[in-house]
Amino acid sequence: MSERLANRLKERRTELGLTQAELAEQVGVTRKTVNTVENGVFTPSATLAIKLARALGLSVEQLFWIES
Amino acid sequence: MNERTVSERADYLSRKRARFLPMLALIYFSQQVTFLSALSNGPHRDVDHFKIGAWVVLSLVLLAGLATKGFWLERKEVRNLIDDESTRANRLDAMRIGFIFACGAALAAYFIAEFQPLTVGETAHLVLTFGLGAALIRFGVLERRAHRGV
Repeated sequence: MSERLANRLKERRTELGLTQAELAEQVGVTRKTVNTVENGVFTPSATLAIKLARALGLSVEQLFWIES
Repeated sequence: MNERTVSERADYLSRKRARFLPMLALIYFSQQVTFLSALSNGPHRDVDHFKIGAWVVLSLVLLAGLATKGFWLERKEVRNLIDDESTRANRLDAMRIGFIFACGAALAAYFIAEFQPLTVGETAHLVLTFGLGAALIRFGVLERRAHRGV
């Protein structure tokens, strides 16, 4: 069974009125990295996941979950 | 230079690298025509030594560009940002592919040597070309894909 890490990054970022570039600056990565995490192309490290969740005011579990 | 400018600069350079790497890899592979013709023509002429010397220099530059953050003349903040998490992951994957191709080239050289004698230099040339070339193409493809987000 294949599993993937789903997220509501884009939804939450849009709610807060942030661009990918603005969120990327807040967490110290490039816009490309935020883009790939949003699209499920790249699985972030625990450190980056925590930083993203903190920047978006959610817990890591609220922001990311495993989909089968 | 404020933080936003650092971020924009890093994004710009990262896109530029994603566009240029596959082109550099093609130039790198095209140089092999010289090597292969020199190999079939027997002993190297002076001009072949010069071209192979150019290949060695280009190999070193490309290897440094692939294995390090690159953009050596940029500010440290920009270089650190360019080398962020997804870039490091893409680089590792590219090096994995490069390693596999280098091993394949080494096996091919072993097989070829059964029929045509190869010098140590020629074997090293084959292994490095395929290993580095494949890694460069893979890194470029992954970076371009990351910028597109698909």
